Amino acid sequence: MAKDRRSQEDYAGPTRRLLVGLLVMVMLAFFLVWRIDSPRVERFRAEVVDRVVPSFEWVMAPVRAAAHLVADFQSYQRLAQQNQDLRRELQQMKAWREAALQLEQENAKLRDLNDVRLDPKLTFVTGVVLTDSGSPFRQSVLLNVGSRDGILDGWAAMDGLGLVGRISGVGDDTARVILLTDTTSRIPVTIQPSGQRAILSGDNTINPLLDFIEDPDQVRPGDRVVTSGDGGVFPPDLLVGQVALGSDQRLRLRLSADYERLEFLRVLRNQGAEPITDTGALIAPEDIAGPSAPAEGTDALAQGGEDG
Amino acid sequence: MAETGPLTRIAVARLIFLGLCLALIYARLLPLETVPRTLVMPDILLALTLSWVARRPAYVPALLIAAVFLLADLMFQRPPGLWTALVLLLTEALRRRAAELRGLTFLLEWTTVAVCIVAVFFGYRLALALTMLPPPPLVPYLVQMVMTILAYPVVTGLCYLLLGLRRPAPGAVEAYGQKL
Repeated sequence: MAKDRRSQEDYAGPTRRLLVGLLVMVMLAFFLVWRIDSPRVERFRAEVVDRVVPSFEWVMAPVRAAAHLVADFQSYQRLAQQNQDLRRELQQMKAWREAALQLEQENAKLRDLNDVRLDPKLTFVTGVVLTDSGSPFRQSVLLNVGSRDGILDGWAAMDGLGLVGRISGVGDDTARVILLTDTTSRIPVTIQPSGQRAILSGDNTINPLLDFIEDPDQVRPGDRVVTSGDGGVFPPDLLVGQVALGSDQRLRLRLSADYERLEFLRVLRNQGAEPITDTGALIAPEDIAGPSAPAEGTDALAQGGEDG
Repeated sequence: MAETGPLTRIAVARLIFLGLCLALIYARLLPLETVPRTLVMPDILLALTLSWVARRPAYVPALLIAAVFLLADLMFQRPPGLWTALVLLLTEALRRRAAELRGLTFLLEWTTVAVCIVAVFFGYRLALALTMLPPPPLVPYLVQMVMTILAYPVVTGLCYLLLGLRRPAPGAVEAYGQKL
């Protein structure tokens, strides 16, 4: 019987093996193309996600709602404890509120004196979280806003309170947010009272690492951490979280955003600071400050300014 | 399903497989886990595919596997095509041994599949290293590998109980009288 089976396989085998081999080669070729020309394939991926995910929103909505219901129910069990905590917190908050009101009035007065205008460009688009990355090794979520809503790569995404991540990959109706916890996430930050600069680098844990602190002695657990705006990636002074000392004795960050429940995210419109590229021309009559000005010299100066 | 022909039966089984895979992909995409966990979920899609290939290779053609895993690669932000190619190679190897697996005990079947899973996980990591891509963090990766191996009997048992997916008995024939 075994012999019989062998002969049968040999008879159907070669063509099939060839076709499957071809299929494997095609897949590997696709992988190599991705390796060589990643942006193009990533755009293709964004298009596929853009096509596939919104069509299943109606399946996801009830399942998500049910899951949240279960989570809510679990939290009822800790109701009394939570009530106590909230009361205590409320007491503290009342004190803070008084302080905040006073500061607000003072601030308004000073603004009035200064005639300050807030940046009108710092508006936001709110999106709903559609899916997560689906992989335990990558931390990202997909929003239901995309290039149709004017979203661009690199914009910051926040929940109500703190920074959540950065847009990376935009489809027509969807955009992917790389969370701060992802291993590829690197954000320049400032640690608040001491003004130390650092890089916040994700390492696939809920508390990302604070790297490259100039003087770690000046940083204490509990310090506020905000974005620094270095490199022009993010607008400065967005709240990120608080410094905490990890169990491995390294400085980590307790994120302000509620990562347990990412439902709605704000994407901040950021046009970036306008770069100053030249040193400014001489104000003079046309015939003097015309083409005879030493163009190369000013270019070199401008580049020097950018480097520094 | 007794009066339906074997071709309809195979087509229905393939549709069920496709539906299960899509459901698994969407279940993993649901935004319920936005916090990194230490206990990583098993790759149930892989366990399901291996279980079906080891038991009823005719129900899971290579083209279907390629389509499903390529979609998964694209959706899960993996390098597209690499995992698919490895899984295809693996299932082909398993498919060739399916006839021999049929006579073995479940423990031996499980061992064979476990070796396959280890091979595909390490092959993937090796390929990433060769193409100089950053590999996923080692500890959760190994945890996922072990979890997938542990999930195999569960997935196989559920398919057996709910879908009636069982190994054909030695010497069984299909409705047209051909040997399975």
